[in-house]
Amino acid sequence: MRKFGIVLKYELKEYFSSKGFMIITILIALAGSVLLFLPRFVDLSGFTGVQVVGKDEQTGEELTGQEQTGSEEKELYLYLDESSILQADVLTAMFPDVKWQAAASRAELSEAVQTKTAEAGFVIKGPTEYEYYVYNKSMSDSNPYIFEEAMRICYRAAYSAAQGWKLDEIEAMYNVPITGTEQVLNKDTSENFWYCYVLVIIVFMLIVMYGQMIAVAVTNEKSNRAIEVLVTSTTSNSLLFGKVIAGAIGGLFQAGLVLGAILLSYQVNQEYWGGQLDMFLHVPASVLVTFAVFGLGGYLFYAFLYGAMGALVSKTEDVSKSSSGLMVIVMAVYFFSLVQLNNVEGPIIKVLSFLPVSSYSTMFARIAMGTVAPWEMLLSFVILVASIFGAGVLGAKIYRMGTLRYGNPIKLGTALKELRKEK
Amino acid sequence: MILEVKDIHKSFGEKEVLHGINFQVESGKALGLLGRNGAGKTTTIRILMDVFHANSGELLLDGKRFIPGKHRIGYLPEERGLYPKRTVMDQMIFLGTLRGMSSREARQSAERWLKRLEVDEYAPRKLETLSKGNQQKVQLASTLVHNPEIVILDEPFSGLDPVNSQILKEVINELIAEDRLVIFSSHQMSYVEEFCDHIAIIDKGEVTLAGELKEIKREYGRNRLVLAAEDTSPAELRERAEQVLNGVAMVSGEKKEFLILELVEGKNRRQVLERLAGSDISVGRFGSYEPSLNDIFVEKVGEENEKDL
Repeated sequence: MRKFGIVLKYELKEYFSSKGFMIITILIALAGSVLLFLPRFVDLSGFTGVQVVGKDEQTGEELTGQEQTGSEEKELYLYLDESSILQADVLTAMFPDVKWQAAASRAELSEAVQTKTAEAGFVIKGPTEYEYYVYNKSMSDSNPYIFEEAMRICYRAAYSAAQGWKLDEIEAMYNVPITGTEQVLNKDTSENFWYCYVLVIIVFMLIVMYGQMIAVAVTNEKSNRAIEVLVTSTTSNSLLFGKVIAGAIGGLFQAGLVLGAILLSYQVNQEYWGGQLDMFLHVPASVLVTFAVFGLGGYLFYAFLYGAMGALVSKTEDVSKSSSGLMVIVMAVYFFSLVQLNNVEGPIIKVLSFLPVSSYSTMFARIAMGTVAPWEMLLSFVILVASIFGAGVLGAKIYRMGTLRYGNPIKLGTALKELRKEK
Repeated sequence: MILEVKDIHKSFGEKEVLHGINFQVESGKALGLLGRNGAGKTTTIRILMDVFHANSGELLLDGKRFIPGKHRIGYLPEERGLYPKRTVMDQMIFLGTLRGMSSREARQSAERWLKRLEVDEYAPRKLETLSKGNQQKVQLASTLVHNPEIVILDEPFSGLDPVNSQILKEVINELIAEDRLVIFSSHQMSYVEEFCDHIAIIDKGEVTLAGELKEIKREYGRNRLVLAAEDTSPAELRERAEQVLNGVAMVSGEKKEFLILELVEGKNRRQVLERLAGSDISVGRFGSYEPSLNDIFVEKVGEENEKDL
């Protein structure tokens, strides 16, 4: 245990004395915070729907208010109504950010659009027919659909008048308001979905990034020939456990600092964001704790396996080849988890939530968004913890076996066979 | 303290690389493991260090099973290497504490050894910034940082220039004088001859010769004589000597300055001298032959191996 502590301390120093590691961590955390403080100082009302409107004279605190859009400069659209069906107030209501102006002829309308004097133009050829003029049509151009709806309204008004019908009454019948309230008794998946999605991505990134770092560190010990001195100075268990736990602490520190800074900054600036990022950043503490427990467990499980993969090769350029099988599993679990987030009560995610290769994301998602019995959580956790130790011991054996095996990469199957033989 | 290696066998896959290695060494003495490349020296050392497990055989320390993890052993592997990106002092403290010292003790000992090996100025520097020779000295310092009672050095002189070799020689002599048990392997016979009381020559996975160096030399010198003639080279002398000494001694070797004669069984040096006195050979040098370790090694391991050295 003492030697494990010494290795852990030495490996931790590697992370925390690295200027690059510390600077990048702090910079990312700062960048996240600065971004989330932006609406206090910069007008992001177009996105947030909230404007800073002044300061409280007594407290000096900034006051926020809903966005005012009336005074903004409007885009110019032209129209030529050849069928006299169009009603200007309908157009204004349907296109609130547009200034409408009648054109004298098609040529004038076309030229105005061509020269970009006007943003767009419509020629109404008949009660149910129009032509749309635009210089460059963007993918998200919704003008034709809105204009068609405006024409329908105008047509209905003209037709009702001709038939002597009262359009107001007909519309009132069609659009009768229905009042309803929701009573969600457990969890609202639509609310939890996005932050679960983000957290699954974060833990996936940590596993891949730190897993590779650990594998490369192990391979480096072989390639710089330090491994023989190390394995004759302490046990391979101490060496691998020390390395992996140090990586876990480094990863936790990095992810914790960045995530903590972002969540805290959002908490402080929540009202300036008008709740726009709640779906990503308003994460309940219970979900964060579940994420930390299962995420860390999954991370450790994979980190030991990555360490073992690193021991199978002696050149750092071979690490990615050696760990490609593990990468396929991590990727498959990642995609399955994301797909299954829509169906947290389904049988597939239930099975996956007990497997150590996938419980880090699937059990976490089930707990965050669905209903999980306490025994299920406990069972999944126990399986995960047992698997971490299993992976650790197996990883250490492979690490020890791979010592001084230079040259061609050792296949995992061969390594396991040799271990069985040695036993 | 007596370390005994008894009948060690080791196979890698189907291939047996050690076929029963035997030798012993005691405190205050040094054992030189000799052998050509691939003979099995490093594998034997790695078995001693528990890096490899022997298929059969025994390792005993004072008659009890030798478990390396339970003793303070300083091991300088053939495959040298430490952490290139860490500072010299950092890794020496790490290795010292890993081998049972407190951080403070490890630091003090590291400072002492770095100074002794004349690399103390590099303590705060990253290992990769040092020259190869200085990295080698740091590696040796880290081998000795925890004050080991058993010191195992695999090819300690390789990569060292003459000045650094001299420093290392002094250090090894000090270790022996301090009653430590020292085992080292080397290709350089002169170093082995200088320090080692005992040798073990390993060839193709077998100990072909082991024992006290003095005794081995005496044994090899017995019944052997040196002969040189005035104004005649050994090559020219050879044929005449074979004729003159026929039935009394044979020419068993030829050196740059003399011939080596081997007495025929039952004959003695007086009879050789009588034959020479009655011949036309003008004797320039005649006496007992004291072989060098290199001679013994070449004779034992063969001409083919001489080229490897």
